[in-house]
Amino acid sequence: MLTGVGLVAGYERGRPVLDGVDVEVRPGEVLGLAGPSGCGKSTLARVLALLLEPWAGTVELDGRAVRRFRHAAPREQRTAIGVVFQQPRLSVDPRFTLREVVAEPLHATGRAAEAAGRVAELAEQVGLTGELLTRRAHEVSDGQLQRACLARALAPRPRYLVCDEMTAMLDPSTTAALVRVVTAHVAETGAGVLAISHDDELLAVWADRVTHLA
Amino acid sequence: MVDLATPVTSGGADTGDWQPVARSRAGRSRAARTANRLRLVAGLATLVLLTVGAVLLPWLGGLDERLVDYGAVLRPPSPTHLFGTDEAGRDLLSRTFAGLRVSLLVAALCAVVSTALGALVGTVSGALGGWTDRLVMRCVDAVNAVPHLLLGIVIVALYRGGLLAVVASIALTHWTTVARIVRAEVLSLRQRPFIDAAISGGASRWRVVRRHLLPAIVPQAAISAVLLLPHAVWHETALSFLGLGLPPHMASIGNILGDGRGSVLAGAWWTVVLPSVLLVAATLAVSGIASTWRDRLVPRRRSELSL
Amino acid sequence: MTGELLDVRGLSVRFLLGRRGRGGEVRAVTDATFSLRRGQLLALVGESGCGKSVLASALLGLLPGNAQVRGHALLSEQDGPIDVMSAPENVLAQRVRGRLVGLVPQSAATHLTPVRTARSQLLETVRVLRPDVDDPFGFAEHLAERVGLEPAFLDRYPHELSGGMAQRVAVALALVGDPPLVVADEPTTGLDRPLVRRTVDLLAGLAEEGRAVLMITHDLAAARPVATDLAVMYASRLVELGPAARVFAEPLHPYTAGLLAALPGGGFTPIPGEPPELTALPAGCAFAPRCPLGPDAGCSGDPELIRWDDRMVACRRPC
Ligand SMILES: Nc1ncnc2c1ncn2[C@@H]1O[C@H](COP(=O)(O)OP(=O)(O)OP(=O)(O)O)[C@@H](O)[C@H]1O
Ligand code: SF4
Ligand SMILES: [Mg+2]
Repeated sequence: MLTGVGLVAGYERGRPVLDGVDVEVRPGEVLGLAGPSGCGKSTLARVLALLLEPWAGTVELDGRAVRRFRHAAPREQRTAIGVVFQQPRLSVDPRFTLREVVAEPLHATGRAAEAAGRVAELAEQVGLTGELLTRRAHEVSDGQLQRACLARALAPRPRYLVCDEMTAMLDPSTTAALVRVVTAHVAETGAGVLAISHDDELLAVWADRVTHLA
Repeated sequence: MVDLATPVTSGGADTGDWQPVARSRAGRSRAARTANRLRLVAGLATLVLLTVGAVLLPWLGGLDERLVDYGAVLRPPSPTHLFGTDEAGRDLLSRTFAGLRVSLLVAALCAVVSTALGALVGTVSGALGGWTDRLVMRCVDAVNAVPHLLLGIVIVALYRGGLLAVVASIALTHWTTVARIVRAEVLSLRQRPFIDAAISGGASRWRVVRRHLLPAIVPQAAISAVLLLPHAVWHETALSFLGLGLPPHMASIGNILGDGRGSVLAGAWWTVVLPSVLLVAATLAVSGIASTWRDRLVPRRRSELSL
Repeated sequence: MTGELLDVRGLSVRFLLGRRGRGGEVRAVTDATFSLRRGQLLALVGESGCGKSVLASALLGLLPGNAQVRGHALLSEQDGPIDVMSAPENVLAQRVRGRLVGLVPQSAATHLTPVRTARSQLLETVRVLRPDVDDPFGFAEHLAERVGLEPAFLDRYPHELSGGMAQRVAVALALVGDPPLVVADEPTTGLDRPLVRRTVDLLAGLAEEGRAVLMITHDLAAARPVATDLAVMYASRLVELGPAARVFAEPLHPYTAGLLAALPGGGFTPIPGEPPELTALPAGCAFAPRCPLGPDAGCSGDPELIRWDDRMVACRRPC
């Protein structure tokens, strides 16, 4: 279980964006998170992905409290939580080919040997066909890039997945395709998912449970 | 109902041929582009001319720049000595080209050392942030607060002349510019979601620097290095002119000008004017090329094709 | 003025890659043909990279230098129509942009200059586009009210505005020159549902007061409640065009049907496969590899836009 209890977090001293938020992402379940613009959904996503240290409150990963964040968090904890952001263009290094994008977490965690096979498997899973993997970010569409970002998030076989408006930039067909990939991953591995979206209709069909952040 | 099954498009039959978009866009006028191109061509031409001159001179019956001839002291420019001779009767044309070579090599060394130093400090400072960053930036401010030439002189004085001292005096005063530029770039890169994604994927601090930050600042650093080159030439010239720079046997332009100082008062203008002209031409050419390169790099990013 | 405000005929745009096009070409728009009357809100939908934004840039004469165009886009004006495709830059700058066509850009918040308040940006635009206005200050406040922005918010800097407010400022900026045609490029991306609603209502209001609005979006759900007309673009071509209600109710093109079936409320079934590259468009129907009817329909040749009642569709099947 990935939980946040009494989370307080923000960017400017004295102006918390999150003020005492509790969330609970259970294995095998998609938790939808809705709320108006600027209410702190992305901030909560960053805290739960261990990318932003909360000012107060605790994040617990499978029963163990997380004490350090970002680089200071143990690698094992970081890679247990995959994250996909809203804007695929900003989420990949423009110098990388899609293959490098997807393989990066494997190289970073010293699993370069299995990279080739795993990348092929992931590409198949998210629907990236052959030659696309050799292109750089500016040579593919947003939809294709977001597929690569999802593949990258799934590469270390995370037990939790945080999708921050993963489909906001995508057309209905690509949205449906990517959500299916996530759903299949949940069914196969029993991972827990935090699905953040503005779109109530989407959450209604995607999430098992929806909470609102005020 | 109407027109059932009649194509409303005509496959381009009456739509004519492809026309270019006739307008030049995004503020860069034709005149500005022409000026830019001229700057590049002039710079390249000058550099090629100088290089060819430097290489071919010894072959074309060029005179040995070290050959002392007390029978031909301070001769004005003539067919044998195009730039005249100096107070020891040495051929100034050959001396100037040899000096230019020394100056440019020393300057290149300085530019590379200070860029590498600046890029490293800037990257580390930007990547670590926090108090490390504040401390480093204070140091940068402190170095910048002292006039560069003054600080350079102090360093040279401490180390008693010589090539290493000159390189140190220029590199130690000029890394700050590069460090600032690189740090700003790294700070803005660090905010990008792809860094977050890398951290989430298990990348170590060092891996983020090596895979994402350093490669991103290479173009910036390379441009800074080339832009630093003319600056370093002038710096070295100033030091050598003051007699604090390279040892006399490494005849850089600065040394030549220093030697010529006395002769100018005796009316031998060519000992200073002609080497200076060559120096100015060479440095202008390098900075012209570097500025064109910089100007090109920026719009490329802007005009990335977006569909 | 009645009749067509914008008449686009056989408009194509391609980009040459590399030096002098030796790196190949991108066919961004192929043979676009449609027209727009006052009072219409045409939603142009399609997935990212299908050429929607290029079409919008072409209508404003804002294509980059490596683009080539073919065809016409006629904007009607008192002194006869202006063909945006062949008009020289000074005509575009002085008569078209801002005056005949207003642009509401994608991600309004980043489009505004960060170091100046909304008011100063609005005032500057008023001074440039409307030198005839005696009281630019009052005019700016009036515009702000028209788009539903409290004048007090005008004194904020862009980063102090929420996404929805920044969007309103962008609409106000587009309206300064009182253009009869407003082009909105992805005006709702990144906004939450209530804000999406308010933004599209604002655009619908513009159409109701007698302007023509072209709204480019990938978000069918956002367009649905307000669009009077719907155009669907696939792989650089308009594949279907018609009154929105009818297209939503009974799509003629298999791609349109696929998009509707992919909506969360419509079955949430993705269309298999990926769209083709605009650098290597296949001959014939670009949708054929993904088309559920493709193999049986025996489709061949270039499906051209064909009139079908008051609708148009580029598919061989219904003929
Ligand atoms: N890096 C940052 N520095 C300063 N303030 C920030 C930063 N990121 C976000 N904020 C502020 O924090 C608040 C919450 O932002 P957050 O991105 O979490 O909202 P959100 O719920 O995800 O909104 P949206 O639905 O628009 O994505 C906003 O007021 C925002 O301006
Ligand atoms: S033309 Fe044929 S392949 Fe193309 S969309 Fe129509 S039925 Fe499908
Ligand atoms: Mg957000």
